[in-house]
Amino acid sequence: MANKTANQTLFKHRGATGPALLLSRLILSLSMLSGVVSNAVLADDHSRCEMDDRSRKVCLYTPAQRIATLSPGATELTYAAGAGDQVVAVVSYSDYPPEAKDVVSVGSHTRIDLEALVGLAPDLVIGWVTGNPAEQLETLEALGMPVFYIEPRNFEGVASAIERLARLAGTESAGQAVADNFRLRMAELAAQYRDREPVRTFYQVWDEPLMSVNDAHLIGQVIEICGGVNVFGEQARLVPRIDDEAVLAANPEAIVAGGMGEENRHWLTHWEQYSNLTAVADDNLFFVPPSLIQRPTPRLMEGSQILCEKLDIARQRRERD
Amino acid sequence: MSRLVTQDLIINVPGRGDGTALNIAIEPGQVWGVLGPNGAGKTTLLHTLAGLNAPRSGQVLLGEQPLETLSRRQVAQMLGVVFQERLDGFPATVLETALIGRHPYLSPWQMEGADDYAQAEAALERLDVAHLRDRLVSTLSGGERQRVAMATVLTQAPSIWLADEPTNHLDLHHQSAVMALMAQQAAQGSTVMMCLHDLNLAARWCDHLLLLYPSGEACWGARDSMLVPSALERLYHQRLAVVEVEGAPVFVPIKE
Amino acid sequence: MLVRLGFPLGLLLLAALASLIIALGIGSAQLSPGQVWQVVLGHLGDIGQDEGNALARTMVLELRLPRALSAFAVGGLLAVAGALMQVLLRNPLADPYVLGLSGGASIGALAAMLGGLGGLAISGSAFGGALVSTLLVFGLVHGSGSWTPSRLLLTGVVVAAGWGAVITLMLALSPAERLPGMLYWLMGDLSYARAPWSPLLLLLATCVIVMPLGRSLNVLARGPQQAAALGVAVRPLEWCIYIVASLLTAAAVTTAGSIGFVGLVVPHMLRLLLGNDQRLILPACALAGGTLLMLADTLARTMIAPEQLPVGVITALLGVPTFLFLLYRSR
Repeated sequence: MANKTANQTLFKHRGATGPALLLSRLILSLSMLSGVVSNAVLADDHSRCEMDDRSRKVCLYTPAQRIATLSPGATELTYAAGAGDQVVAVVSYSDYPPEAKDVVSVGSHTRIDLEALVGLAPDLVIGWVTGNPAEQLETLEALGMPVFYIEPRNFEGVASAIERLARLAGTESAGQAVADNFRLRMAELAAQYRDREPVRTFYQVWDEPLMSVNDAHLIGQVIEICGGVNVFGEQARLVPRIDDEAVLAANPEAIVAGGMGEENRHWLTHWEQYSNLTAVADDNLFFVPPSLIQRPTPRLMEGSQILCEKLDIARQRRERD
Repeated sequence: MSRLVTQDLIINVPGRGDGTALNIAIEPGQVWGVLGPNGAGKTTLLHTLAGLNAPRSGQVLLGEQPLETLSRRQVAQMLGVVFQERLDGFPATVLETALIGRHPYLSPWQMEGADDYAQAEAALERLDVAHLRDRLVSTLSGGERQRVAMATVLTQAPSIWLADEPTNHLDLHHQSAVMALMAQQAAQGSTVMMCLHDLNLAARWCDHLLLLYPSGEACWGARDSMLVPSALERLYHQRLAVVEVEGAPVFVPIKE
Repeated sequence: MLVRLGFPLGLLLLAALASLIIALGIGSAQLSPGQVWQVVLGHLGDIGQDEGNALARTMVLELRLPRALSAFAVGGLLAVAGALMQVLLRNPLADPYVLGLSGGASIGALAAMLGGLGGLAISGSAFGGALVSTLLVFGLVHGSGSWTPSRLLLTGVVVAAGWGAVITLMLALSPAERLPGMLYWLMGDLSYARAPWSPLLLLLATCVIVMPLGRSLNVLARGPQQAAALGVAVRPLEWCIYIVASLLTAAAVTTAGSIGFVGLVVPHMLRLLLGNDQRLILPACALAGGTLLMLADTLARTMIAPEQLPVGVITALLGVPTFLFLLYRSR
């Protein structure tokens, strides 16, 4: 508990008398209501400050010792940054790395059990901009907890998130290594595959409704570095909802799908009924384990590797014909 | 004590011509009967006199004041209506139903007091439904409900009674009792006007009659001058035979 | 007379206090009754708190108390609005949402969520949407001349259906990660309600204002003609009820999304138990609705903790069997 108070940058319990406390709470509430929460601690060498993905500066006095990660991706990134031992709260589906399953869960990323979270007294909360409920995270900030939002949108964003988390948690050496390795690996993959013969690809995110990704999506970027052309890349939405007809019209050479679980191929067998599809004719129906490619984490290296290799198989099959 | 006066009143029956303009003065102590076949506009007339319907033209004066200048509360303190048809939306006991007759006299913050309860109970007693006071109105027979409705107006104790077919659903004993009640009210100085479908009840109990024809035509006056067989036959499109019983005429419809 | 009102209301007040105590005492964090009591005492007596109790203070005063009070306020507002709507439409099946108000509020809230705006903007948007819907129905019914409750009902139902279609469209077009949040709002959710004072004040003010109208409402429930004949200014009273009920519903929906069932069942249940005097029913609705929702919310946040359930699910699961039992017993 002692660490918690050391890191309460805004809400200081100790020593304040009644009226002063009330006044500071009033000022605090007003600043919260204005929507601009400035965590900046001015010109203090002892503080570690990082910009989060909502362009806010989050500062801590000492390295975070009790971290709460409010999405499975955030959990993976925090462990990757070397701060796994400092994680005290996760949410459901935080299944990687395996050690994370032993950490206390405080609900799901869409609805957090605030009481359970507050009871664990975290000194840093890692939030997800689009996935976590805004009002609940605002409540946490109103209670004085520093919230650091992440939302990696590209490979550099993933690496940068790892670095920033490592700095906040005081595990710079471990985190920096992982980030650099990630950058290196992704660059290698790009160098190897990007300029090869383009393969028209359809990546299936979900089956009912049928969903794909566009070029701005992280997976779309993976397709690009693997020398693929995303047939739905030009769609306006990040995760467009389409139908079988659209896929037939696009006639991709390769269909890549995840599936509900890690070992599930039945989404791909659905396409076999359309024998006219190039992808079906050439048997280019590929499975990539979703957790390796759908999360903005270092495991993206593995997923990208697999995807690039699969697309290369498609490439070779084409040249064979 | 109030009188109800109409000035060139033409009631608004949709789809029908204007008919006769009514210039009636209903005085305290009088018992008026409104006679006419179905659809002649008896209910519309009653509602117009109560201020619930707007007339097509002309006006109604309640105690020398035009009806439309009075607030509903003022009207309700002087005039009570027994409706022919009632809604049974939400369940209520007989006593509660009678009690709402006191509403025009109570201010918003006032609760009903012992006096109000006493008046309601006396009214229920008078209409012979006191033994039903805690029953839900929806569980009563048609006749009992009719008597409860009358008890509500009796609790309201207005000086002008407008009753729309008050003897509907009632057995012979209670029919007479209700008519006697109306007569008693008039004798005590109230003004009474009733729509009746039973010609003979009107002949026995009313002292003035208004005949409403389906065309909108109307004639009115003292009872004896109105009880002309030819006029009545024209009114009801029915041949009638007249008999005298205990000094009063009784009309019997006869087959063609 | 006062005894007739006082006794059931007193009982309901006790029930409300009891459920408040339960709500403060139960939660994901295991706090002993002693700790909770100490926090309450400390808050009331304003003693300076020490470190060990700081967590308990936060838990009870910052999380549980605002949430419980919000639940009470929202439940009360919905139940009173439901009772008023049932008198206005002379239909025991009416609920506060029947005239399309929650649809309008939902569209406002969902639009704010789609735009990525925060909590305050969502509430403001919801309230704006509710107002627009109310004015639209009002305008449509008023403009058509002859006005009856059934016309109001029909117009409201059609408008509600229209909003429903727009909501479905918004759900279909929204990005996948926003959907759970939107669905929670539509199901009714108190998990971030933190400012209970305005809805509570509104509830109190409404009860005070509506009490003198209670007897007029009783008379109105017997039919408009009967009511007019007994001195009730029918049209102005009906508009007044419409506006008050809409305001209450808008406040409730703005605070907690569209929680169903409370506004329909609580007035009904109370009428079965207590009769039809609106002077008793309306304050009883406020107390009973608030109590029910407080209990339901306590269950919703603890039943499968740390997973959180939307409170609308619990109100239905609790309310339906209770209502059926009462209905059966009253036969």
